[in-house]
Amino acid sequence: MTAAILFVLVLVLLFLGVPVAVALGLSSILIIAFFSADSMSSVALQLFTASQNYTLLAIPYFVLASAFMSTGGVANRIIRFAIAAVGSFRGGLAMASVLACMLFAALSGSSPATVVAIGTIAIAGMRQVGYSKEFASGVIANAGTLGILIPPSIVMVVYSAATDVSVGRMFLAGVIPGIVAGLMLMIAIYVMARYKNLPAEPWKGVHELIEGGKQAGWGMFLIIIILGGIYGGVFTPTEAAAVAAVYAFFVAIFIYRDMGPMKDIPWVSETDSDRRRVGFSATVYGLAFFFVWMILSFFATADSETVTLSHRFWVGVVLSVAITIAYALWRGTGGVAAIPSYLTAGFPVWGRNLGLMGRNFLRAFFNEETRKVMVDASRTTIMLMFIIVNALLFAHVLTGERIPQSIAETMIGIGFNWFTFLIAVNVLLLIGGQFMEPSGLLLIVAPVVFPIAMELGVDPVHLGIIMVVNMEIGMITPPIGLNLFVTSGITGMSLMQVVKAALPFVAVLFVFLILVTYLPALSTTLPYALMGPEIVTR
Amino acid sequence: MGEFLIYGIMALVVVIFFLVERANPEAIARFEENVLAVLLALITIVSFSQVIARYGFNSGWGGALEFTRILFAWMILFGMSYGARAGLHLGVDAVIRLFPARLFRLAALFGAFCVFAYAITLLWASWLNLFGADTKGGAIFYWNRMFQIGIGLDDLRYPEWMQETFGLQDRIQRWIAYLILPVGLALLAFRGLQAFIQIWTGERDLIIAGHEAEDLVAENRNVLKD
Repeated sequence: MTAAILFVLVLVLLFLGVPVAVALGLSSILIIAFFSADSMSSVALQLFTASQNYTLLAIPYFVLASAFMSTGGVANRIIRFAIAAVGSFRGGLAMASVLACMLFAALSGSSPATVVAIGTIAIAGMRQVGYSKEFASGVIANAGTLGILIPPSIVMVVYSAATDVSVGRMFLAGVIPGIVAGLMLMIAIYVMARYKNLPAEPWKGVHELIEGGKQAGWGMFLIIIILGGIYGGVFTPTEAAAVAAVYAFFVAIFIYRDMGPMKDIPWVSETDSDRRRVGFSATVYGLAFFFVWMILSFFATADSETVTLSHRFWVGVVLSVAITIAYALWRGTGGVAAIPSYLTAGFPVWGRNLGLMGRNFLRAFFNEETRKVMVDASRTTIMLMFIIVNALLFAHVLTGERIPQSIAETMIGIGFNWFTFLIAVNVLLLIGGQFMEPSGLLLIVAPVVFPIAMELGVDPVHLGIIMVVNMEIGMITPPIGLNLFVTSGITGMSLMQVVKAALPFVAVLFVFLILVTYLPALSTTLPYALMGPEIVTR
Repeated sequence: MGEFLIYGIMALVVVIFFLVERANPEAIARFEENVLAVLLALITIVSFSQVIARYGFNSGWGGALEFTRILFAWMILFGMSYGARAGLHLGVDAVIRLFPARLFRLAALFGAFCVFAYAITLLWASWLNLFGADTKGGAIFYWNRMFQIGIGLDDLRYPEWMQETFGLQDRIQRWIAYLILPVGLALLAFRGLQAFIQIWTGERDLIIAGHEAEDLVAENRNVLKD
């Protein structure tokens, strides 16, 4: 009875245009006030403790990292690399857009951000070489949904917070399905391109691929820090997110210089001589290698007793000096004897750049653009967290009324097995995903579905991935599909046009959903091979 | 004593927000954004430096975790009223947009009222007893109890010099951390009421945002239109 009132109340409030968070929170409060003996003080306190959740603390950090990485420059570099990699196939530019969305998804946990960052550049590019606007928008709207499947993903963090499944395993579990979904989209594009006779880009050679990879590499290293750090046991997912946020800030301001006080000042100026350039590049490669080496070897050997800091340090020094010398030899003329003169020629470039960074160090933190990124990230965090906190309150009322248990008993009593149960979950989430923001929906559904799934022997990590894929599809199906709104907003097409344009690829994602649902190995292989199975104690 | 104090603080904050906003709406918006940005920057820097301190210097600050978690709660509870003013909070507007204009406005007013009612109930639930509920307590009551007991937080301590100069207890009192709960809710109630009046006078359309990427789309609207 109480359960029915609770659900009806939430739905009525929701459809009357009450904020989602308040609809959830207010219904829970009213139920507690009228039907339970709990004091409102403990409910108010819950609002505070829910806001303190350590797992959810990763959300503001991931949002911040993604905000620093969502500047136009990063998307441009990723697209350049993607075109160099797959552009030469039939329909290559569309495939490159999918690849770019996948890579960008690894920097950002949000789908709309992916659509805007990649879409604004890629759709224009595709139109220039003769793709139809519909085709281009359909590709981007769908590929953008990979943002929540490829780690880091905010929706996965929320799932972990709701069910106590480890965030690290969820992230690793998203890797293979994310790649499979991307490949499926690319294959569909390739088939359509053959059929429609879409153009291919010329193959620009390995050099362009390496150059593009180098440019995008600084940004892409973010995902290595996150996954490597979690997997290596060096930090908790929340700490990994904090490190990622600081790294993203550093890369955006000091290395890419897409924003902040040093905006658009190149590292090497046009007047620098070739000798200087070679010397500078050689030392940059050496140093960059040294840092990558130190970080990766740290992740790999964090638990080791035998490998110490000084071992790693000296191996790193020797290898990076070797790289520096090798580069100078390869690019310079004059053999071994000329190396010192090349390297010293690079010093003025270093001096100039370090001086620039030093002078602008404080301004990097306090300037209008940094402030704007911080405020944007805060806004997103607040919007998400206010819903999440209230959804937790709602979930608390649900469990307090023993509603999940009674639903579980009924469902098992009817004779659901894991196969039919997963169909039911998919249908439930597909419908719910039309009306609710993904993280809020997940927090409401997870406490009900999770215990039943455990009872029926469904793997917790697998269940999480199924839920995430359902949320993805919810983003590109009407009436309330976030990516549809965003795509229609940036292209100026009507919502109906975007829906039609996205339809063929939505079909692909549906096939993908069936694959993910009935092939648990797709999700569980990687995390269990690396981190061992998830154990549920309930 | 505690009760007067918390009512005083809540009233003071709301009145200051109200008056400053009347004089200069930009100033309050900027203040709110700066508070949020600083809180976010602080938690990020503290968490990051903890990792560096642990692996680089084998040290750390025992209160760091509790500190970041409390600031995170402050960010959310302070931010919820900012979100109501800035129209950040998501809602489903698809259904009410099908309503005739008069009913649409009624629904919009109801949405704003619900935000107000939500905040007031969490602050002071006893008003529901008018409608036959049997409930008591709320954020004000809870804060007041914490203020009277005066127990400290788990890990956060006052620095030595403060303990000595001011003769303080060693742990920071819980009520300081919980201060944001009544204050944040009071601000949310204020913003709910304000939105209600704005919708009434026709200054504002709705209290909700239709979808989460409205800002993002507004910034890039029609960039690709032919």
